[in-house]
Amino acid sequence: MPAIVEWFFPEGLYTIAMIGVFAVGAFTIKFPVSIAMAFAAIAGALIGGAGFPLRHLVEGMFGYLDTILVIATAMIFMKTAESTGLLEGLAAWIIRKFRKKPAFLSMGLMFIIMVPGMITGSSTAAVLTTGALVAPVLLQLGVCPHRAAAAIAMGAIFGMIAPPVNLPAMIIGGGIDMPYSGFGIPLIICTLPLAIFTAFLFIYPPLKKGDFSESGLEAELKRMEREPLSFRLFIPLLVLIVLFAVERVFPSHWPSLGMPLIFLLAAASALFSGVKWHPLQTVISAINDALPVMGILMGVGMFIQIMTLIGVRGFVTVSAIALPKWLLYVGIGVSIPLFGAVSAFGSASVLGVPFVLALLGHNEIIVASALSLIAGLGDLMPPTALAGIFSAKVVGEDNYLKVLRCCIFPAILTALWGIAIILLANKLAVFLF
Amino acid sequence: MHKMNIKGTRKTAIFLLTVALLVMYVTGRNFLAMRQPDVVIPADGFEKRMLSDWFQGIHNTPADTPVFIQEGQEPGGTVLILGGTHPNEPAGYIAAVLFLERAQVQKGRLIVIPFANNTAFTHNSPQEGYPQYIRFLLPDGSVRTFRYGSRDTNPVYQWPDPDIYVHEPSGQRLAGSEMRNLNRAYPGQPHGVITQRIAFAILELIRKEDIDLAFDLHEASPEYPVVNAIVAHEKSLELGAMAAMDLEGRGIPFRLEPSPRNLRGLSHREWGDHTDVMAILMETGNPIQGRLRGRTNEALALTGKDKFYQKAAKLGSLFIPYEDDQPIALRTARHVTAIMTFLEMLGFISEEKSVIVNNIPDYNDIIDKGIEAFLLSIS
Repeated sequence: MPAIVEWFFPEGLYTIAMIGVFAVGAFTIKFPVSIAMAFAAIAGALIGGAGFPLRHLVEGMFGYLDTILVIATAMIFMKTAESTGLLEGLAAWIIRKFRKKPAFLSMGLMFIIMVPGMITGSSTAAVLTTGALVAPVLLQLGVCPHRAAAAIAMGAIFGMIAPPVNLPAMIIGGGIDMPYSGFGIPLIICTLPLAIFTAFLFIYPPLKKGDFSESGLEAELKRMEREPLSFRLFIPLLVLIVLFAVERVFPSHWPSLGMPLIFLLAAASALFSGVKWHPLQTVISAINDALPVMGILMGVGMFIQIMTLIGVRGFVTVSAIALPKWLLYVGIGVSIPLFGAVSAFGSASVLGVPFVLALLGHNEIIVASALSLIAGLGDLMPPTALAGIFSAKVVGEDNYLKVLRCCIFPAILTALWGIAIILLANKLAVFLF
Repeated sequence: MHKMNIKGTRKTAIFLLTVALLVMYVTGRNFLAMRQPDVVIPADGFEKRMLSDWFQGIHNTPADTPVFIQEGQEPGGTVLILGGTHPNEPAGYIAAVLFLERAQVQKGRLIVIPFANNTAFTHNSPQEGYPQYIRFLLPDGSVRTFRYGSRDTNPVYQWPDPDIYVHEPSGQRLAGSEMRNLNRAYPGQPHGVITQRIAFAILELIRKEDIDLAFDLHEASPEYPVVNAIVAHEKSLELGAMAAMDLEGRGIPFRLEPSPRNLRGLSHREWGDHTDVMAILMETGNPIQGRLRGRTNEALALTGKDKFYQKAAKLGSLFIPYEDDQPIALRTARHVTAIMTFLEMLGFISEEKSVIVNNIPDYNDIIDKGIEAFLLSIS
């Protein structure tokens, strides 16, 4: 049997079958993505000779339990801040204060989007907190919804990769026993230029152009300011900041509450904001909004577990690292974001670690930083596309694919920037270490 | 794209809830079955105690784990063999079980902890597709079964993970899930989370029993640079060099790695820094742990045979010699033989601290006859 055929069978066939069943389920029969993923996983198990492995299907879903809880509770927090009028009130204040300084405002808004990602290591947390805060500002200042969502999605990903907390880099480092230290400046080099560029790409032009009617804007700002910005209104945001900060500053003396509990406590503190709102309706609305994504993650969990079980994961990974040297960098730029369709963190672990080993001889810290940047793009990859889906949601855009289309250019630039940093790793290391 | 819409009614809700309950019942029983401890048959002379005897902080918790002690007729040193730090690295705990079921201590004391992180044996890591059990068919037709667990403590007992794990006392930062990794938890914390308390208990045992030489048995993926390796603390580096040279001479090469000073929380670093013990960690190459593996099942855990690792070997991506397979008999034999070599070398360094253990099969015997020839029958 020719080597290529031997290589392809049967795992390559399983790969095609699983993707095929997903595509037919999602695009022809028009099942929800989560159900199509589950069917693809079951089909993979049956074709791969693993029968109907109920235990594996359930176990796979549990891989995303923590992420699902973060999404659900972050969404509750965001809806609460929306219900109390905090989001719009704060957005109106920012517009009044800085709208005459478009360059400063563009970069400032981008930084605000990034901050929660920098602290929590999660793009979802960034999109659903400061992303939701910045969204009405961008819309009011004339940024069209899908470009506003693209700015939020890209900013959230850059925040997730920027120091001090970068989980994909920690995961890659953990795979080769490399401590998470010395990453600060390499990660700034990875993210800062891209963040500035994205701010000027999406936010600055409409701000500079000032393409909005002053009277219309003034009326809208008045509406947004329905609740005066009092100290009590800020309580949920302050609780959130304090609980995150105290865990970071005093890790030895403060118990780790976990992001879900922090979001819930912050949302609950809105009961003291002095504003009338409906907690039950807010929670129901939040869970309704988050449910499709939580379902997708469960479907993806089953999918990845069955991929691993029947050998598809190994087929994909070894095919990627078997690429000839000149194609290796293309493989990195393509396979890591593509695998991110199942999870950016999963991609960092499954592909990031073999790639960093394949690149031994280049400075490992810089290579891992750059690979983590590329892995972050996984949060734009459908069907999970957490950053894309949630940023579409916060600007009120129904079709998240429009947002993803806007992200294509900065995403390609991000991958190229990451590859350039890998190629220059040793030269950069001379200056940095 | 128009999504398929099925109208939700009371009947569909009842149907879906019933299916969900059924799935919970069936899989719940399956997951809970992994809490049944593995059966081991200690050789004559072993006394069974519990790790909580050295630190009450884990008493009556699922983390408490058996500790077996055998004392020889002649006084000598004390050696600790720790298996099951990572229950997805079976050659580590199978080697410890072989010592437990066969050892006859002539001189000194031998302490064996086969299942160091007991709670990590009670679950599998999601999305890894691992088998739940590995089985050995013994010559008398009976079967010995061992759980194939997870690298980390069961989150049922330690949850949620922080976003970042800050190691105590060094302040080193790692990904949050590493907080459930016993081999990142040393020297442990008496009032910490359960994994930190297990680590503290093991250190207490090392201190109170005045252990001279301690082994932490692991496996690693073949593409990981520290594999087929002995990692030694400064205090045990000389002994490690002697053992590695002897093993090399017998055609069993081990890479000797000094324990990195900046990598905290690991046994080879913290045991040596916080006690007087000579700390050794050993790794063998186990394809089922690796990211390059194909079909993931019990056969892969036992044989290590994998077509993708064959390809990776040809690409030069591996740090072990890999031709067709990497059977558990070979991996266990490497651990067992290396330990016996260390004991021999310990005697050269200090007669007073020497430990002599008999009735342990040699390297070729284990490879030729398989693990099943040396496990005791439970029938």
